[in-house]
Amino acid sequence: MQEKNVAHIIALSKELRWQIGDDFHDSLAESIYADASKIVEGSVTKGDQKSSFRIDSKIDKIVTSKIWGFPLMLFILGVVLWLTIIGANYPSGMLAQLLLDTCHPLLKEGASAIGLPWWLDGFLIDGVYLAVAWVIAVMLPPMAIFFPLFTLLEDFGYLPRVAFNMDHLFKKSGAHGKQALTMSMGFGCNAAGVVATRIIDSPRERLIAIITNNFSLCNGRWPTQILLATIFIGAVVPSTYSSLASLSAVIGIAVLGIFFMFFFSWALSRTVLKGEVSTFNLELPPYRPPVFWKTIYTSLIDRTLIVLWRAIIFAAPAGAVIWLISNIYIGDESIALWAIHSLDGFGFLLGLNGVVLLAYIVAIPANEIVIPTILMLTVMATGIPGGEGVGVMFELDSVTATADILKAGGWTLLTAVNVMLFSLLHNPCSTTIYTIYKETNSAKWTIVASVLPVVAGFVITFLVAQIWRILG
Amino acid sequence: MTTYNPTFALLLFLALIIVLYFLFRPNKGLYYLLRKTKKSNAKTIIEDILKLLYHNQASNNALNVNDLTNHLKYSNRLLIENVSKMIENKLLFMEGDALKLSELGNEYALQIIRAHRLWEKFLSEKTGFQKEEWHGRAEKKEHELSVDETNQLAALLGNPKFDPHGDPIPTSTGRVAFKKGHPLSELAVDTVGRIIHIEDEPEIIYKQILAEKIYLDSQIRIVEKDDSRIVFHSEGEKFVLAPIVAGNITVSILENKVLIQESTTRLSSLKTHETAKIIGLSKECRGENRRRLLDLGFVKGATVGVDLMNPLGDPTAFLIKGTAIALRNNQASKILIKKIEHGKTTT
Repeated sequence: MQEKNVAHIIALSKELRWQIGDDFHDSLAESIYADASKIVEGSVTKGDQKSSFRIDSKIDKIVTSKIWGFPLMLFILGVVLWLTIIGANYPSGMLAQLLLDTCHPLLKEGASAIGLPWWLDGFLIDGVYLAVAWVIAVMLPPMAIFFPLFTLLEDFGYLPRVAFNMDHLFKKSGAHGKQALTMSMGFGCNAAGVVATRIIDSPRERLIAIITNNFSLCNGRWPTQILLATIFIGAVVPSTYSSLASLSAVIGIAVLGIFFMFFFSWALSRTVLKGEVSTFNLELPPYRPPVFWKTIYTSLIDRTLIVLWRAIIFAAPAGAVIWLISNIYIGDESIALWAIHSLDGFGFLLGLNGVVLLAYIVAIPANEIVIPTILMLTVMATGIPGGEGVGVMFELDSVTATADILKAGGWTLLTAVNVMLFSLLHNPCSTTIYTIYKETNSAKWTIVASVLPVVAGFVITFLVAQIWRILG
Repeated sequence: MTTYNPTFALLLFLALIIVLYFLFRPNKGLYYLLRKTKKSNAKTIIEDILKLLYHNQASNNALNVNDLTNHLKYSNRLLIENVSKMIENKLLFMEGDALKLSELGNEYALQIIRAHRLWEKFLSEKTGFQKEEWHGRAEKKEHELSVDETNQLAALLGNPKFDPHGDPIPTSTGRVAFKKGHPLSELAVDTVGRIIHIEDEPEIIYKQILAEKIYLDSQIRIVEKDDSRIVFHSEGEKFVLAPIVAGNITVSILENKVLIQESTTRLSSLKTHETAKIIGLSKECRGENRRRLLDLGFVKGATVGVDLMNPLGDPTAFLIKGTAIALRNNQASKILIKKIEHGKTTT
């Protein structure tokens, strides 16, 4: 009896569900929303916001106008980058002076005073300490300038307007306008850029932004580009134009990165990512004067220090590895030399050399230590005088001295161009890889984001090398 | 590297790229072809035959074995082999030379169609695949879903009655909703109706319909008709279609003139300094997109105005509930509004 009743009720409910039709979920939800908004209309009173609204719309008219919108945007981004790169030079130099030139010898002296064995001293001070000190000196100042500036613009309300202006371009490559912001953030630091993609709430576009963020030339790579452009590109043209030529080369690389970002966004959204859900909306919040000190404080704590901490954690073992491979011998060759010789063939094919490839392998934790590692390995591999000792990274104050070492290592204009290209197109640093994993929670997308740029780098440098050699 | 020669290396690389291209190019690459032939087993062929017969039986078309070879892309031998297998298993019987579905065959065919349409619904609600891809993907998936999986899928989607093209989805007991409609190409001038179905095959015509931004559930009025073209108004826009394209759109005629809302337009047509009241969201605005718009306040009865035009034309920022929200053109075209004449408010 009981069971018969239940069966009857289920049958009845099925019949009613059939009759009620398809849309009842939607209509129910929509009427709840509509009711809620009616209640708000009737019961919530708002103060007079007319005057602030008028100022807002005036600013909006200018920053989104056909004539002023884009020049203004480029100008502001240019100023921010200029302040970051030029402004960071001085504190960077001071930090390097303090940590590398003063503390390092002191530590060495201290170590020999207490009678530390040479291998422990080398491993800890020349390896771990030096890598960490380097990362701090190169990374901290630009981030401490870039992030607060960026956060101020964000708080003021300007950045959403940039996303609004740029969306049409990004839409064409299947991406979200807000990717303009995460991309710009990537110029500061890719790991921070990846974290910033949280502002994109559409799953597909967010993945695109994460995977392509590495194509923004980050702070750790600008110095490499500037150094190589100064030494090799600047030397090609008459000296009056040399700074102009090297500047254009660096900007050219950054623009090339943006081009690759658009290209891979387009390709990803049409292939592997086409099944991910895609939505769009963009809120344009009212302008408000940023709370200056609070912004500075939070951007330093939230962005700068967290990223720096992660970088240090990854740089420390890298320093150890760099020192170890140069000091552990298999037969009569150190691991580093052996690796350089086995990578030389492949490196030549790409217009690079074994030293560069090995440097990029051991310097995965931080792009900042690529040039010091290259210099150290070059000195070791060629046996020319100079440097600080086996396994000790160094950098030279004089550009000409750096140029001499690189040229002694067999570098040509082609090598320099391809290292610049490869510096743009290679796997993200391990801090970024780890951040990508944390943000996507997926090994698959982490691997795609790590492997895609390095494959692109191999292909591009290979093509450039072959065509260069055919033409030259 | 004694034999190294840049030209040779470059050519070798290009050759490698070409080989990879032929192996992996979508749908035509060797890799896909291999996977395909592995999958086109007896089950797929039998199910395709059942579907074809079911659809033709619904339109009172008798098919014989020859017609099968014309409609399906399998070889004669495979088809004949499988038809005799199906007759053995009592899925089919012969009436003269025409093939007929048995009760069992009918049930089976409905299950396949159910799986197909549910999967299309799933793709439309829960994934980001383009409309053009739904049909092709469902064509593959329908052979893979078991009865249990199909029922779970239906429960997940809230037991929908219609697929995203407007086709009825059979229930697990084989019940099919019925909609009465006419092809758009056969309607007389001044007829008012509602689009209830957009056919997704052949793909070339479907793509044209999609490009025109013609949406399911839109109300239309025919304004002009001759042999070469059909013109109709819908949601404040004018559409011109060739009869062959219009034939793939099914319209149910609205007799009750009270329901007719000629003043309904799309939000995408709103201009600066105009305001409007929202009538609702189009049926074509689905899944996550629909929920997001509702969350932002694009609900029935809300007032909306243009806040900012974009220097590049798209997206546009709309003022809703005191907040500026930018929407892309293709989203705004799926929000239906009624413009408010300056000063006076209409209800």
